[in-house]
Amino acid sequence: MDTFMALELIALTLTGLLIWHSACTRGTAFTWMFFLGGAFLGLLRENVVAQVAALNLYSYSPATFHLWIGAAPLILMVFWSYTIYLALTFSEFIVSGDLIGGRRRVWVILLSMVFMASYACLNEAFASIYPMVLWKFKPALTVWGGTPAMVLWGYAGMALIFLLTLLLVYNLRIRTIYRVIIFCASVIVMIPLHLLWIAVFRLATSAIG
Amino acid sequence: MNSPYKKPNFFIREIPLIVLLVFWVIYAGIEIIRDRFDLLTSIIPTGLFIAAYIIVRLTSKDQKGQG
Repeated sequence: MDTFMALELIALTLTGLLIWHSACTRGTAFTWMFFLGGAFLGLLRENVVAQVAALNLYSYSPATFHLWIGAAPLILMVFWSYTIYLALTFSEFIVSGDLIGGRRRVWVILLSMVFMASYACLNEAFASIYPMVLWKFKPALTVWGGTPAMVLWGYAGMALIFLLTLLLVYNLRIRTIYRVIIFCASVIVMIPLHLLWIAVFRLATSAIG
Repeated sequence: MNSPYKKPNFFIREIPLIVLLVFWVIYAGIEIIRDRFDLLTSIIPTGLFIAAYIIVRLTSKDQKGQG
């Protein structure tokens, strides 16, 4: 088996473990919202980014990935949810906070953003080896292997937008099924918000270089 | 409002740490094999989170929440 194919299957398996963890520790409503919403977010956002040329961001390398859904690798259906879930869980534990319960919520979200930027360091350094992503523009600021520095900002912003939306929808006093549906549907708001978040960074750094 | 958190057993409790460690080791390993290992920018940032998690785990007897 190809190394990268094995990595894709490992990532899917590990996400399964995180879903199990979430179901056992946070309940089924939270788990459905988080991981189904994350899957919709990954599926839709990554297809939009890969296929809409006007965004001028990136596409995925067809030579690297094996499992696809449209123009995005299958692994992106779980990527955002598992990274944000790790960010949330580590952050809650380190600051002894609770996003849903309301204990040290601001610190949990801020630390989750820092975690995501840190994870961007790990993931994008790795991604640049293959490469996983084909960048469509020449960035003003780069980090590893020509990767735009905006990825750190982008990962952090995704955690912020995802967690705030989750919190907002989770606290609605309606049946779980409706909260899950509303959260999944809210990706159509989260995606443009995140693209705007990235655009701010690109605009701010466009004068550099 | 009430948090939905429940007290998990040891294995379930440590799943997030196990998952991050697996990714961490695989990514670092492949970077080393491909001669692209970047200690400072790749490994250290998430490593600090892993270290902080373990320190808090070892120093707190009864963490509420997902732990």
